[in-house]
Amino acid sequence: MTLLDSKKNGLSAALDSGTRRRKRRTELSPLAMRGTQFLLTVAVLGAWELSVRAGVVDEFFFPLPSDIFQTVWLWVSSGFVFPHLWITMQEAILAFLVGAAAGLLLGFVLARVRFLERLLDPFLQMFNALPRVVLAPIFLLWFGLGIWSKVAFGFTLVFFIVFFNTLEGVKSVDRVLVDNARMLGASEKQLLRHVFIPSALTWIFSSLHISVGFAITGAVVGEYLGASAGVGYAIAQAQGVFDTRGVFAGMFILMIVVLIIDLLVNRLERHLLRWRPTQSA
Amino acid sequence: MPGGETYFAVRDINLKVEPGRFVSIVGPTGSGKSTILNMAAGLLNPSSGEVTSFGEPVNGVNRRASYMFQQDPLLPWKTVIDNVSLGLTMAGASKAEAHAEARRWLEKVGLKNFADRYPHQLSGGMRKRTAIAQAWIVNPDVLLMDEPFSALDVQTRQIMENELLQLWQESGKAVVFITHDLDEAIALSDEVVILGAGPGSTVVGSYEIDIPRPRDLLDIRDDPQFVALHREIWGRLKVEVSKTYETAMAEEGEVA
Repeated sequence: MTLLDSKKNGLSAALDSGTRRRKRRTELSPLAMRGTQFLLTVAVLGAWELSVRAGVVDEFFFPLPSDIFQTVWLWVSSGFVFPHLWITMQEAILAFLVGAAAGLLLGFVLARVRFLERLLDPFLQMFNALPRVVLAPIFLLWFGLGIWSKVAFGFTLVFFIVFFNTLEGVKSVDRVLVDNARMLGASEKQLLRHVFIPSALTWIFSSLHISVGFAITGAVVGEYLGASAGVGYAIAQAQGVFDTRGVFAGMFILMIVVLIIDLLVNRLERHLLRWRPTQSA
Repeated sequence: MPGGETYFAVRDINLKVEPGRFVSIVGPTGSGKSTILNMAAGLLNPSSGEVTSFGEPVNGVNRRASYMFQQDPLLPWKTVIDNVSLGLTMAGASKAEAHAEARRWLEKVGLKNFADRYPHQLSGGMRKRTAIAQAWIVNPDVLLMDEPFSALDVQTRQIMENELLQLWQESGKAVVFITHDLDEAIALSDEVVILGAGPGSTVVGSYEIDIPRPRDLLDIRDDPQFVALHREIWGRLKVEVSKTYETAMAEEGEVA
């Protein structure tokens, strides 16, 4: 991306027309943009820190950023957070894998079998309309306080996103591509492999970012409502003793973890969708 | 169909294409040109009657035919060479074999240096060439072409037509070529078939094109034989075109 941007700058320098020059002056280089973003972060955190220290904001509700980072550091350096994080990740990964697999499978089947799609459509709409959080208590009763109630909860979140995107992705495949592959002798299985799956991948990937986030949300919310371990549980514990620093520290750690996972998904997406024209400019 | 009338795009079509012949079907918009081709391809079943290919009824996709579409048929997630070899790999050829054959075809259509590109990196003409190689590599007996060059600019189009004629002359395959461009039809074909105005259109004329081969398409439009044929066939086609136009105008009047 950086390379591309600098190339674009070179081009605009070469074109050097009046409008271009004006645009170039307002457009920062990526490095300068990073610097500005860093400054913004410092400014916001600094303002927060100062207003708490000055007593404008109550420290009980908004603990000092420096204290939050201290707590984060304590949780990380003592290793306290890692078992919790590991449990949460296990739940999220299981929920994601099972949910995505089921969503993909049902999405492909329903997209190819018109009868089933028409039959199941109202039921799927009904379940999708249900606010998923209300399922958490019943899952706790069914599956207990262990990881499986969270997996089930995350599953209901991931499944529908992947399912609807797969269904849409397969159905929106260009008619000509299908006809052409059939004329070239494709069997139903080959159609799936060469045409439908790659075509649906773009849709599935756009849903992947959301569904990965949802898998983690499902795990954490589930833990928060009742668990014996996990980051959500740690946050609930901190809240139980009015330790807002602990709550913020848990949020911060989760944020970083999700960012890292999203970065990995991006990498995978770029690799698998490398045939796509880059949507720059 | 409950509540709706059956729409006959075409009726009573009796069309025969001999091996090695280049036949064009020309007709006004809505005359069912593509319908005929899709039935020949087996992508569409006739509501009555039968399509036969080399004496056998077409049931499902016509295995002896290749189809060239008006739109871009290349799989965007496959490289040029994988696109071209698709028909072979799906028929069970090994990847090495298929790629070797695909390379031969890419050389034929002048794309051997573009084997590893993705379709979006090619120009419209290059994508058409890839599509030609993709359709011909499976060695079909019949080539069905549905306005394959209509999306190209005029110059690229004439070059592509020339190349198509060369490929076809070497091959001895039968070609059914759909177009609404009479110039193109006369320049390329042995026979031009005129379809009447739709709906429910039928063959209204069939003209033998005896301009000697090989033809140079870049100059053929000045050929006196071409001009005479064009005048004769256009005289017939014009009637159908104005009929279609009048129907469309009348319908618009009804709506308004």
